[in-house]
Amino acid sequence: MDIIAIIIANTIAYGVPLLLVALAGMFSERSGIINIALEGIMIFGALFASIFLTSGIVGTEFAANNPQLVIFLAMILAAITGSLFSLLLAYAAIKLKADQVISGTALNIFAPAFAIILAWAIQGQGVTDIPLPDIVDLSWGFDAANLPTWLNTLVSKKMYLTTPISILILIAAYVTLYKTKFGLRLRSCGEHPQAADSVGIKVLRMRYIGVAISGFLAGIGGFAFVMASSNSTFTADVAGYGFLALAVMIFGNWKPFRILFAALFFSFFKTISALAVDAQLSSIFPTFNLASPENLYKMLPYLITLVVLAFTSKQSRAPKAEGIPYDPGKR
Amino acid sequence: MMALFKKNSTAELKTIKELSDKKVTIISSVSSIFVGLLFGLVILFIIEIIKEYSDFTNPFYGFVNLMTSGISSIGNILKLLYKAAPLMMTGLAIGFAFKAGLFNIGATGQYTVGAFFALIAAILWQFPWWAALIVAMITGALWGFIPGLFKAIFNINEVITTIMLNWTALFFVNLLFYNNPGIYLTPERTTALASANPSAILPDLGLKVALNSSYVNIGIFIAILFAILIYIIMEKTTFGFEIKACGHNKNASVYAGIKAKRTIIYTMLISGALAGVGGGIQFLSGTVQYTVSNTTLMPMGFNGIPVALLAFSNPIGIIFSSLFISFLQVGGENMQPIYSSEMVNVILAVIIYFSAFSLILSQFIRKRLNMRSIDLEIAANRLETPLEENIPPKEEPVEPVIEKSSKKEVEK
Repeated sequence: MDIIAIIIANTIAYGVPLLLVALAGMFSERSGIINIALEGIMIFGALFASIFLTSGIVGTEFAANNPQLVIFLAMILAAITGSLFSLLLAYAAIKLKADQVISGTALNIFAPAFAIILAWAIQGQGVTDIPLPDIVDLSWGFDAANLPTWLNTLVSKKMYLTTPISILILIAAYVTLYKTKFGLRLRSCGEHPQAADSVGIKVLRMRYIGVAISGFLAGIGGFAFVMASSNSTFTADVAGYGFLALAVMIFGNWKPFRILFAALFFSFFKTISALAVDAQLSSIFPTFNLASPENLYKMLPYLITLVVLAFTSKQSRAPKAEGIPYDPGKR
Repeated sequence: MMALFKKNSTAELKTIKELSDKKVTIISSVSSIFVGLLFGLVILFIIEIIKEYSDFTNPFYGFVNLMTSGISSIGNILKLLYKAAPLMMTGLAIGFAFKAGLFNIGATGQYTVGAFFALIAAILWQFPWWAALIVAMITGALWGFIPGLFKAIFNINEVITTIMLNWTALFFVNLLFYNNPGIYLTPERTTALASANPSAILPDLGLKVALNSSYVNIGIFIAILFAILIYIIMEKTTFGFEIKACGHNKNASVYAGIKAKRTIIYTMLISGALAGVGGGIQFLSGTVQYTVSNTTLMPMGFNGIPVALLAFSNPIGIIFSSLFISFLQVGGENMQPIYSSEMVNVILAVIIYFSAFSLILSQFIRKRLNMRSIDLEIAANRLETPLEENIPPKEEPVEPVIEKSSKKEVEK
């Protein structure tokens, strides 16, 4: 029972940033812009949230009384800075009609380097990691220690404010995309912008909004990653989660609830591979007479995703106009 | 008089067409490099403002360090060349794939696999350096072949597959490392080649002793040879034409009878081979050992992306862009500890971002040039038609700067 609780808790912890960032990618691509800069936006958002949390606000009385509110503010800051950063991509891709992959790559190179330089400048020479204060764990207002071990693991270990919020965001994303006028318009810009334009939708504006939402969610995702990563430390690196989220988005066929499934699927295998290193649990994993078999298990999530993508590629349907700059004169 | 004008105008037309292709590209590259460096200087100043104890001479010293230390001594020049060789190879790998419309972000994985198998060949199988390099090439090619196959058969975006294969490569290599105890003395890094197999170290032509630097080897020459080879493939062969056709418009190329799927697979195969050789060059230098990492991918493959982008994927351009980036990297190291060497990446990112702007700039120049060349064509045609013989050519230069440069060309 305990093992199952550990697996579920870890799957959720790994899955939340993936879900958020994959949803971010979805909003951008559904509007017609390939957002390969998710990785960079995650780092950029997380950087400012981390600086905010370590700037001395935690020591104040306000923070002591409302720890989760401070985390919430940091999250909003990550979202806003991520959104602003993503506008750089939007400007190059929409206004200048630049190659979206190239501009996105520029952002990806910029963000981690900028984060290291800034952390270096603020904290002194050679110090580039920003450890978050230990208020990031979510407390539910009751003493979790009295619960059975497995329930305690489930609700209080690896549970952060971003976890419940990500569920709200998932529902909001679904409703926005499929139940509102705005969502229909956004999707039409990613499928056939000329047709959308002909009925009076402002394609360029919709694409700007799509990328801005994408940056907003990716910023939150970056912050969620930093909290869930080992020791809750910002290291100017999100371990390729921005790119993995793109894979999850494609695996999820650009649809919110399928993306949830894809994110949990990947993070489940990621959890399994993490447990194979765990000192207490590694004994239940077969070693195949290999030295350091954990490396075999670490390959698993990536290989399984590859195989699954191969099998599901037939049904995969990307937004038709993604990656193509809008040209009103084109038919 | 008339004949002279006609001769002049056609000559000018010709030079304008040449100019619009190559020079504009170079002008836009240089201008974005300039903007990138300027931005770097501004960032240095901003950092100085943020710092607790500001010293505003620091940014200047830092910047001068960045821009001069790459060529300040023979040792540094040799280091620059040493660092440029693998960078050139990964840049070529990524640029080659770009030409076919593929974004091989997995050069890192192919580089890692190539590097490690070169070391296996050198240490475990006692191969000489050239044979180890071939092993690196073949294994890198195989690692690039997988995403090519996935793209061709299942139409899965190569960005996704190569990213998955980057991480797979890392753990696969770790697995091989721990299961071949002959390759290491301490379970962190491979045995130094100098003690394990000196014949596997890239030859230095006796220059290591003569120049008193451990950074000398023929790696840079191998890389330049590959760049020329790729240039020939791209520009002089049918296969190169097929690759470019695929990159421009896949459907049109299929319509024209090009086997697009086969081309994609071959492109990724060659791209992977280039990255693999890059890994081989780096680790057969004898200067570094492969160090096990569980969390980070090797940066060399990613550094190849700006190399390729800066050169607009032109193989000959990649020779220069890799030297330039290597120059910045050597300079960046010398900025430490006052500033992080990551400054170089900020500058590179800005350069790449502004190459988007300069693309607009070059389009603008081209448009102007085209207008001018159309005008000239009209003028030349008018001279041919007897009816309008008396109408003087009324065309005025549209863009004085270009007028000047093109006239110079005519005078030559």
